[in-house]
Parts: sequence; C-alpha cells; structure tokens
Amino acid sequence: MFYDLNVPWNDNIRELQRTVAFLDELGYDVVALTHTFSGRLPTDLTPPPIPHPLSLPTPSRLRILRRCNIYLTDAATNHRIPQLQQHYDIIAARPTDERTLQQACASLDIDLISLDLTQRFEKHFKFPMLGTAITRGVKIELCYSQALLTGDATAKRNLISNATQLIRVTRGRGLIFSSEARSVLAVRAPSDVINLASIWGLGHERGKDGLTKEPRSVVEFARLKRESFRGVVDVVAGGEQPAFEIVEKNKQIQKTKKQNNIQQKRKADSLEGTPVRQPGEEKTMSNRQKKRNKKTGLEAEQ
Amino acid sequence: MVRVKNRYLVVKFLYPSTTPSSSSKDVVPQLLQLHQPTPDAFHAGLLLRAIRDGITELFGDYGMGMASTSLKINYHSPATSTAIIRCPQAHYQMVWAALTYMTKLPKPINTPVVVQVVRVSGTIKKAEMEVIRRAKEIILRAKIEQRGGADNATGDGMVGHIVKMVERRREEQVLVRVEEGEEEDDSDE
Repeated sequence: MFYDLNVPWNDNIRELQRTVAFLDELGYDVVALTHTFSGRLPTDLTPPPIPHPLSLPTPSRLRILRRCNIYLTDAATNHRIPQLQQHYDIIAARPTDERTLQQACASLDIDLISLDLTQRFEKHFKFPMLGTAITRGVKIELCYSQALLTGDATAKRNLISNATQLIRVTRGRGLIFSSEARSVLAVRAPSDVINLASIWGLGHERGKDGLTKEPRSVVEFARLKRESFRGVVDVVAGGEQPAFEIVEKNKQIQKTKKQNNIQQKRKADSLEGTPVRQPGEEKTMSNRQKKRNKKTGLEAEQ
Repeated sequence: MVRVKNRYLVVKFLYPSTTPSSSSKDVVPQLLQLHQPTPDAFHAGLLLRAIRDGITELFGDYGMGMASTSLKINYHSPATSTAIIRCPQAHYQMVWAALTYMTKLPKPINTPVVVQVVRVSGTIKKAEMEVIRRAKEIILRAKIEQRGGADNATGDGMVGHIVKMVERRREEQVLVRVEEGEEEDDSDE
C-alpha cells in the first residue's frame, strides 16, 4: 500500500482527475486531496471546499482522503483545530517560523507537520524538538515535487539541503514523502521516490517506510482520533448479524417447517425435532446384525 | 576472474499530460494516452545526452565522471516507449535520480514526460524479459478495456483509436518528410 498524502485540490477538475488517475497508474493506493487555508481560518467552515462526495470520477481501486493544511503564523489563532477535524480526514500544519514549529511539535493537536523546504531556515533543526513530535505520533512531511518542476536552482538546492538535514536530525524516523504535485508532471512512481530518498541519505528500507508504514499510521491515528472513544477504544465489529441475513434465515426455517408438515401430516408440536419413526418403516439394521442374519440363514439352509 | 559490474535500468516513458494538438480533435482513452509512443525524433543518442545533462546538473563533474564509465543505451524502442540503460553498478542511483528529475524530452521535441524506472537488474537478460512481460501485460489490459468499452458505445474502442492514431501519424510523417527533406541534409553536415 503506497500513500501520497498531499495532492493540492484545485478547481481545474480535469487536471486533478488526470493527476489522480496517473497516481493510480503508478501504483499508489491512497491519495489525500489537500485544501490549504492560507492566513486566518474563515469563520464558517461549512461547506468544506472539497465537495462531498467528490465531483470528479476516481479509479475504483484508489482510496481518496481529505486533508487540510493550515499555515501557522502566530500562536494565538489555532484554537479551532478540533472544528476542522469534523470536516477533514487529516489535519496538517505548516509552521512559518521557529516558534510556531516549536508549538506544532510540542502541543498542537495535528497529524502532520509539513515544512516548506524550498525556503532557507535560519536555524538548524534540533532533535529534541522534532523528537517530541515523532514520539507524539506527529510525522514530518517532505514534499519532493518542487525539486522537480522549478527551474529555480536555489529552491532545488534548499530542498535537498533541508531534506538531508531533516533525515540526519530525525535519524530517518517519522518521515513521510509526498508529492504536493500542482501538475501531473510532478508525480513520480513510489520506487523513484525511494531512490531519491536514498540519494538524500535515507536507506532503502526507511525510504519505503516513508511511503507505506508511516503515512498509514498517520491516517489510522487520525481516524481513531475522530471516531473512537478518546482515541483508544474503537468498535471494529459489534458482533451483530446483518439484517438481511436474519431475514433469510427466518425464511429458511419457515420453509423447512412447512416441508415437515407436508410429509408427516399431523404431529404434536412438542415432538417436532425429535426423529419420529413411521409405523410401516423398518428399523435400520446395523452391518453386524446383517451379517449375523445371513449366517443364521445359511446355517438353516444346510 | 574479475569483471566490470553493471546495472541495467528498464525505463518507461509516460505521457500523462495531453499535448495541445491532440486534445482538441478527439478524446483518446487514458491508458492509451499515457503509454503513447515516443516521437521518433527522440533517438538513443538524444536520450543519452539528456541523461548526461541530468547527471551534470544534479551531481556535477564528479557524478559525470563516476557514472559515465559504462553508460550506454542498450535498447531503445520509441514504439513502446521503453529503454534499457546500462550504468555502473556502484553509481546506478545517480543515473536513476537524473531520470527522475527529467520532466520533458530534450530541446527540439519538448514533450512533457515522466520517466519511470520499472526494474533494476544485474543482467541484461532479466531486463529484456521484464520489457517483454510489460508489453504483454499492456496488450492484455488494452484488450480488456476494449471489451468493457464496447458496451459504452463511445466509438470504436481501444483498437479503433490505435488504428486511427497510426494512420494520422503516418500522414503527418509524410508531410513532414516532404517539407523537411532538404533541411535534413543540411543538418547532417
């Protein structure tokens, strides 16, 4: 199962549909469509910008999730994240400076930290900060598409240096690779992404985890947070029978009853179920009894 | 006995975005459009040059020196948009990364492309087998889609489209040849 958790939503449905179809063709199984809130959150969150159900046809094999990105500009405006969780499957935050990154790592109730890697960060990333995020289950996302499409050489360089920094600091744990593809051409196959990661200094196994295991844990954690009891207990199957099966069974029981009634004309209800011998019918003989009868018969002839 | 060790990359060229010329005329099925044939102008020499440019852009002279020792296009088929590239075993990842970073075919053609490495192999035999397997698979898929598409009555289905495309390409090629017959001679010199 390969995951691509960042495909930006745009109103150009044809282009988006093409991207999704191409992702399916390349072998991805789960794709998250992202809506980005730049600046402050609007007061009215309904209706969400990504329509429900989706307005574009999607390949049947592919699972589509909804995700929102929020820019963290200052610490005060982020008390409304729980409201967002009702509308989206995944909540990601994009910190813009050191302080908000600290806040996102330590306390915010989000699922993903997505950094804009084309920028140059003033300070080095520190393990204690990112380590707390990873132990909390908040993963860090690397988006590779800007490196492919921009002609801007400094952006490319920044992305590579930031990616290697992040890989070094987190020791390869808790990283997710996603495309953030604004056009179809920025999407790459999973194996190509793993190779890119290994060029950046992440081993093959870890690179694969970044496309399979880690994003899966993000998706499942987010689901549990929304649907389960306090994020701990979830009812997977209640053990009840589906309604139509019960109906079928009742029908069958009635049928068998009817048949019984036809064969054996009148029976007391209490006797039903116990094998009843018809008067004309002989008792079935055991094999031993048959042999014995035969023997006695032969002896009598002699 | 020591020998030079190589890696063989099986490469597939995919065309996810529509070219402006074909989009207006008729709608080609998604599968067919994605796996459309590479323009004939894109020959093995151009591919090799594109890879070299990519490596120099990403890894500089050092990467070029390391990778170019046994870089070679063993097989290139524009019709199926596949190629087999030989590269040194120790540095195949550089060549792969250069291919990943490629977004369009080189200068005179400029078609947007996504290059996918579908198999890395130590021997050319296995690489060739993979190419054949892929080709068979895609034909099977096209046939299945054709069967499914017959009910929709959208037209002649997959095979009809292919026939149409081939005819149109032939016509275009003839026209191009007539126009550029003299220019080609100049460029060869």
